[in-house]
Amino acid sequence: MSRTYISRHPLDDLLPLEPGIRAVDHLDVPRSSAIVSVMAMDGEEASVTAGLAASGDVSIRFTGPGEWLAVSQSETPESLHRNLSLLLAETAYFVDQSDGRVVFRLSGPNVRRILAKGIATDLHPAIFEVGTSSNVLCGHISINLARTGENEFELIVMRSFAIALFDDLKVMGREFDLSAGFSVRG
Amino acid sequence: MASLIHCPHCGVRPKEEFSIRGDASLIRPDPEASDEAWNDYVHIRSNPRGRYREHWQHVAGCRRWLVVERDTFTHEVFAVTDAASSAREAGR
Ligand SMILES: [Zn+2]
Repeated sequence: MSRTYISRHPLDDLLPLEPGIRAVDHLDVPRSSAIVSVMAMDGEEASVTAGLAASGDVSIRFTGPGEWLAVSQSETPESLHRNLSLLLAETAYFVDQSDGRVVFRLSGPNVRRILAKGIATDLHPAIFEVGTSSNVLCGHISINLARTGENEFELIVMRSFAIALFDDLKVMGREFDLSAGFSVRG
Repeated sequence: MASLIHCPHCGVRPKEEFSIRGDASLIRPDPEASDEAWNDYVHIRSNPRGRYREHWQHVAGCRRWLVVERDTFTHEVFAVTDAASSAREAGR
């Protein structure tokens, strides 16, 4: 029996199809991202770290010792998985997470004050520098948080928690009129 | 309760990110050990007022098991180490 599977974003019914008015603090939701989890084989942590650093147009997010998420907005899940597997075939394991995770991109001058309502980790610009990433608790949901710009953070969450996290972020941002919409970049 | 834990992998984090398993000083008895030894291992716990070593898991962070040495009275945290490295040090 053949089935037709339809790719659906979990926030499809909650965000407008067309971009609306964008406030200074904005929550940008990419429709699709290529995400691969990487786990170094025993004793290979240093060589995998070096290999990932040289993997080009891929953003590497720390999730634990010897474990990362590799994120790309330009590659397809298949090509990201294939490229990393070829690059580090002997030293790491890879599992595609693209359909299992959702990316939120939060930016604006009040981004830290918004995040502080759910995250107890110190996000001061001098402490949580651009490029830093870590798993943190946001409210009651565990997410991967990365600082991707001066006042820009990316949150990666399990797909089944995406709606709950979205609701939390809306409440956290209400004071600053946080706007939200699907990314025009794709 | 100690409210800030310095995870060796993630930095300073609130206790809400962790799940506590309990006494880290217990050593699993031999499979052939007496029922009494097994009963002690499974059920009997001291409840010290003072310094205590516990297994904490950083469930909302790096997901690693840690050994947290803390004071149950003053809430002071003396040391936090990865459970794998402290087991290696203990020769287990
Ligand atoms: Zn940790």
